[in-house]
Amino acid sequence: MHLLPRFDYYEPRDIAEACKLLSHFKTSARVIAGGTDILVNMKKGLISPEYLVGIGKIPGLSEVEPQNGGISIGAHLIIEKLVEFDLIRKKLPMLSKAASVLGSPLVRNRATIGGNIVNARPAADLPPPLIAMGARVKLRSKRQEREISLDKFFKGPGETVIKPGEILTQIVIDDLPPFTGGDYIKLMHRRSLEIAIVAVASRITLDGPDGAIRDAKIVLSSVAPRAVHAVRAEKALIGEKPTEKLFEHAANIASTECKPIDDIRGGAQYRCAMVGVLVKRTLLNALNEAKGK
Amino acid sequence: MKRLITLVVNKKACEIAVEPNRTLAQVLREDLGLLGTKVGCGIGDCGACTVVLDGRPVNSCLVLAVQVNGSEITTIEGVADGQDLHPVQQAFIEHGAIQCGFCTSGMILSAKTLLEKNSDPAEPEIRAALSGNLCRCTGYQKIVEAVHLAAEMMKK
Repeated sequence: MHLLPRFDYYEPRDIAEACKLLSHFKTSARVIAGGTDILVNMKKGLISPEYLVGIGKIPGLSEVEPQNGGISIGAHLIIEKLVEFDLIRKKLPMLSKAASVLGSPLVRNRATIGGNIVNARPAADLPPPLIAMGARVKLRSKRQEREISLDKFFKGPGETVIKPGEILTQIVIDDLPPFTGGDYIKLMHRRSLEIAIVAVASRITLDGPDGAIRDAKIVLSSVAPRAVHAVRAEKALIGEKPTEKLFEHAANIASTECKPIDDIRGGAQYRCAMVGVLVKRTLLNALNEAKGK
Repeated sequence: MKRLITLVVNKKACEIAVEPNRTLAQVLREDLGLLGTKVGCGIGDCGACTVVLDGRPVNSCLVLAVQVNGSEITTIEGVADGQDLHPVQQAFIEHGAIQCGFCTSGMILSAKTLLEKNSDPAEPEIRAALSGNLCRCTGYQKIVEAVHLAAEMMKK
């Protein structure tokens, strides 16, 4: 049986106390939220922090609130609530869809949005739609609070710009312009407890119901050390009239803009081909949604 | 250092001193003697350790006991009403949805939670709700049918 190594546990009552503990213990402490990732890594002996700081009892970290023309999501909100909450399903359908395919129902009842971001796994489900929607994250430390675009947050597998002593507290997403649509598709061998073979999040904004594409984001996941933009494919879309042919063109470009590895889940060549398929499919679905709004 | 925590397990309040590195599954099995909760993989893949924590089914092998101080927990031992089995338990027995039995506690708790939210689930909804619970005897068909049967029984 997997046993956890010994550690001491702290449960701060507010964010200031949590920051104080983390700045005191520095790298010997780790934050625990839902625990579905960190406890697995500790049981496997990959990490062995001396202290765990539980943030589950801190008020305000699990709320979803409207915030000057946008929405703010507390980092400790469990994944299942991203699927359940009407406000998120209506305003951020792409995020709800990604949440609904993360892990299993049992994992979604514990795992948190903040945890899925800070763990920085290359195949994590929530970062691609969040990046496509231009999300930002708030990082609190003992001395300051800073806000950073999620685009600049990830450095590589398991690596982010978070410094020792900092806690991710909120995810902020500005309201998207009218005539915006998006979609997230995760390619999987099975429907649950699965890590993506390839996943794509696309988002487009049109000038009007029948207008040209004003803005486009295509984020590829599981094909690079971190979720990446298909930059040239995005450029190929902007200013153009949305057609299936154009989307196919962008999809072809996107499949050359990633550097996947061969592993047990799929070969690199297969992954590149699937990037093309998923980019086209997500763009077509995004267009349908954009026309409706 | 041990921490004193309070849990309400199967409607009974209990106070226990636990080391921080003990999981909820360990505390339920070893401190409270509730051996109906099984531990399979220990890393959240198999769902054998499913318990209902504040109304939601979770993998108790990936929950620290100290994290859930003050919570309400239902294990398989808390599902029957005295000698009367819950319709989901009855349906599993009647329909032959139990083979080796190792996944059964978790399956029943996930199914029971589903039926409390959705009294008439379609097959894909049942399969989705049970998708975190693995049955290595691969008896899924009978299990899904038993959940349908339980839904019928609960309507009467």
